[in-house]
Amino acid sequence: MTTVSAVSSTAVAPARVRSASLGTSRKRPDGGPKVKGEFAFSSDLWAEGALWGKVLRSPHPAARITGIDTSRARNLPGVKAVLVADDVPGNPFFGLEMKDQPVFASDVARYMGEAVAAVAADHPEVARKAAELIEVTYEPIDPLVDPERALDPVTPPMHPMGNTVRHISVRHGDAVASGDVVVEGTYEVGMQDQAFMGPESGLAIPDEDGGVDLFISTQWLHVDRDQVADCLALPPDKVRLHLAGVGGAFGAREDVSLQVHICLLALRTGRPVKMVFSREESFLGHVHRHPARMSYRHEADRDGRIVKIEAKILLDGGAYASSSTAVLANAACFAGGPYLVPNAVIDADVVRTNNPPCGAMRGFGAVQVCHAYEAQMDKLAAALGMDPVELRLRNALQPGDELLTGQALTGAAPVAEVIRRCAEAPLPPGGPADEPGSMTLPGGAGRTADPTRVRRGIGFAVGFKNLMYSEGFDDYSTARCRIEHGIVTVFSAAAEVGQGLVTLVEQIAEDVFGTDKIIVAPADTGVGSAGSTSASRQTWMSGGAVDAACRKARDSLLDLAARRHGTVAAVLEVREGRVVSFDGEIDETIEEATGGAAIEETVEFRHAPTFPLDERGQGDAHVSFAFAAHRAVVDVDLDLGLVKVVEVTTAQDVGRVLNPVQVVGQIEGGIAQGVGLAVMEEILVDQGLVRNASFTDYLIPTALDMPLVQIAALVEEPEPGAPFGAKGVGEPPTISSTAAVAAAVRAASGLALTRVPIRPEHIALAAPRQGEAGS
Amino acid sequence: MIPASFDYVRASTADEAVQRLSEAGEDAKLLAGGHSLLPLMRLRMATPSLLVDIGGMRDLSYVKDGGDSLAIGALTRHGELARNELARREAPLLAHVAGQVGDPQVRHRGTIGGSIAHGDPASDLPAACLALGASFVTASPRGEQTRSADEFFTGFLETALAPDEMLVEIRVPKSAGATWSFQKFNRRAQDWAIVGVALARNGSTRIGLVNMGATPLRATAAEDALAGGASPAEASSRAGDGLAPPSDLSASAEYRRHLARVLVRRALEEAVAG
Repeated sequence: MTTVSAVSSTAVAPARVRSASLGTSRKRPDGGPKVKGEFAFSSDLWAEGALWGKVLRSPHPAARITGIDTSRARNLPGVKAVLVADDVPGNPFFGLEMKDQPVFASDVARYMGEAVAAVAADHPEVARKAAELIEVTYEPIDPLVDPERALDPVTPPMHPMGNTVRHISVRHGDAVASGDVVVEGTYEVGMQDQAFMGPESGLAIPDEDGGVDLFISTQWLHVDRDQVADCLALPPDKVRLHLAGVGGAFGAREDVSLQVHICLLALRTGRPVKMVFSREESFLGHVHRHPARMSYRHEADRDGRIVKIEAKILLDGGAYASSSTAVLANAACFAGGPYLVPNAVIDADVVRTNNPPCGAMRGFGAVQVCHAYEAQMDKLAAALGMDPVELRLRNALQPGDELLTGQALTGAAPVAEVIRRCAEAPLPPGGPADEPGSMTLPGGAGRTADPTRVRRGIGFAVGFKNLMYSEGFDDYSTARCRIEHGIVTVFSAAAEVGQGLVTLVEQIAEDVFGTDKIIVAPADTGVGSAGSTSASRQTWMSGGAVDAACRKARDSLLDLAARRHGTVAAVLEVREGRVVSFDGEIDETIEEATGGAAIEETVEFRHAPTFPLDERGQGDAHVSFAFAAHRAVVDVDLDLGLVKVVEVTTAQDVGRVLNPVQVVGQIEGGIAQGVGLAVMEEILVDQGLVRNASFTDYLIPTALDMPLVQIAALVEEPEPGAPFGAKGVGEPPTISSTAAVAAAVRAASGLALTRVPIRPEHIALAAPRQGEAGS
Repeated sequence: MIPASFDYVRASTADEAVQRLSEAGEDAKLLAGGHSLLPLMRLRMATPSLLVDIGGMRDLSYVKDGGDSLAIGALTRHGELARNELARREAPLLAHVAGQVGDPQVRHRGTIGGSIAHGDPASDLPAACLALGASFVTASPRGEQTRSADEFFTGFLETALAPDEMLVEIRVPKSAGATWSFQKFNRRAQDWAIVGVALARNGSTRIGLVNMGATPLRATAAEDALAGGASPAEASSRAGDGLAPPSDLSASAEYRRHLARVLVRRALEEAVAG
């Protein structure tokens, strides 16, 4: 993939940040080892004497369990433990928002892949065989797989907590307001997977104190720890989590997967236990993006100004709640898009079904509704005979405007600017007919496409979402800075999942101390929670915490040095790793300045408080928002239904760029996932059964399928209240890129295409076909 | 994913390999490039007790002029075939198709013999062999035998090969003057074809289809229509006639029939134009 980037010269102005460190690209400390295959991922862990763990999973999406006989498994030589629900010493349930998911299914299995038992053995093959020898008696039940039916009050609950996980009504402004022009549509989003490369894996080592050390790839060490400790009936300080090398996350590592099972096995056997999911298990063993059905009605005046939006949003949460309530809140809050919507009537539900559990994925509820509201905006533009970009500009939110939740936009909101900058960027030259038989046609080297049947389409979309946690959640991050023997060490439990926080932490600490002699300690629960690596929050939250901890430690260092020299700290500063006075009288190393003492400062950093939504869906639920626009250019062979995404152009509201190459990385990666959802990525579920739990059948774009990414602008309007003015950049690239590609395929094909991912047959078997005899 | 355990021997000649196979019975499999067999073993869809590794027999990697035909050693790798000057001149369709298999890594390891002996309807090379009227030479304890491509593919992942028989050479009639086309449809770069068409036109027209049934097969209805004087448009409308393409995660049977019609028409138009 090649990036046409305007980052270096115009969009990024290093002079506007404090130092030579922040605002510059730099090598990631883990970059070289990852490229060379030397980086230790969690699946590479090993401990002397370790056993192998394996989980037995339900093959049924819904079944009563009437018996589990583990005797044959226990008698297999090499098997050290076989555990079922009765072996869980503490809380038998876990979950992020509500503890509704059993550690092991005991009386009923509610989705295909639900854990029923776990085994530890001295060899992975023995563990696998032992799991097969566990005899579970299932009585299959007709699975509840239709979310509409789950919503119906007459449908019996498939879970003791009921089928509806959450309902949100938004009533904003005048419910009976009406416009001159009305467009309606019903839209669907399929179940996307995060499709990270590194499968779930970990190593649990029991300690003589009765506790356990768990080395795990996760997004949030402390929320894992609290759930594990609760299930193990151990005090939290007896469960010590250490971040192991994470091979991608994208939301799928927010939930507990193997954490409890592997710790139970380690404590039961008294030996280290390692577990690595197969790819099939990984697909079955983590949550996915919620599939959505959305019905919309937009009313606008003749000038194209939105008068009212009515929407019904239904998310399929699958068998357990995971983070469904927060995903739904996002879907409801952002249902109107980044537009001024004076009147709104929105009803949003997320339900339990016997489909695979759904939870966090990059974009988190904002992606699904963006697909719908942006298709509606195009429909509205067509109904008005107006240019789609002009329509969006006319409705774009501005600072001070109210969202449909009644919250006023107090931060940076360069919506019109991202739209304008993206729309003004040059289009890729030529078209498909210019290069007959070329590699650049849909199908590439296979030459399948016929240039005379290829049509180019251009689509535009804008999206937004919240940064950080919302609805009154006590969202904070802890960081510690220690200065000892002249060495500055930074401690944070924030999970590096590939996004590059490790680089940024170094940059921030360097910025404070003026030296690159900074050690970033491995992330573990030895320091307080950093919160989740999700919601585009770590740059703001852990970046802010690290900055605050380093500054506090630096101030203590200056105080210490001032006392030693009988002066005041105000005349001292830290410059290039030395403590110097303005008059030049004092100039010593940090080690000399501490005089043998150790300085340690720990900071908890919080963003401004947020508040729950009231019964009308109104409230200041979010602290900050980020916006992005995408323009997609596609070539579609109408007879084959084959889509080639030629280019995606974007402009994004970033607050401030702290590390240009990492911003570009997030944008390219996010667009890859957005393109994937638009044209190929979907977990296929048939009556609750997952049909494509492999990378052979779950398609993600390869480098050859990835379009050229043109970054038209990184719009730098510093965000008030944000450390360094920087907004998180991870999620906006996924939100409207899908909608832009879908719009482009619609433009090329002339088809409605209300569902993503768009499959080739939806185009080929619907499009009027030319030149094909007999049709 | 780890395959089940198996024994492993290396054979240095075809005679030695078939001897090993015949001693071991039905549970033994030949290992050449490993690109079809090893994935099945990792998924435990294949659990051979013995692998006879023939990958080291470099003397079975060749492209030779055999008079009216081209003789291709069974262990010739896809990349070697794609780059071979003689193949590109005398069997351009086959060389082109070899260059479209999988990705560079696959073409660097996979062998033509392995691809044909595996008999996968989703593979490209068997369809090209059908279109070119190729024949396959095998070795077994009963001696050498030659079968036409048309009689070789007998069922899903099944061929006419006996358990102790090894494919040693592929013979392709020279077709330097023929026109041809290969159309490979997939949703994502480098994937298996969802439907593919290999077409050779040399007086008569032969059309091999990828993934349109349980075996690699020919579009006989379309071929017959052409032989009867039908236009490319008319003939291509019959591309799926008499076939039972699979409905699977990649495509419905209906969509596969549609693709076959479109791709055969495009292949015919290209071959006529070429």
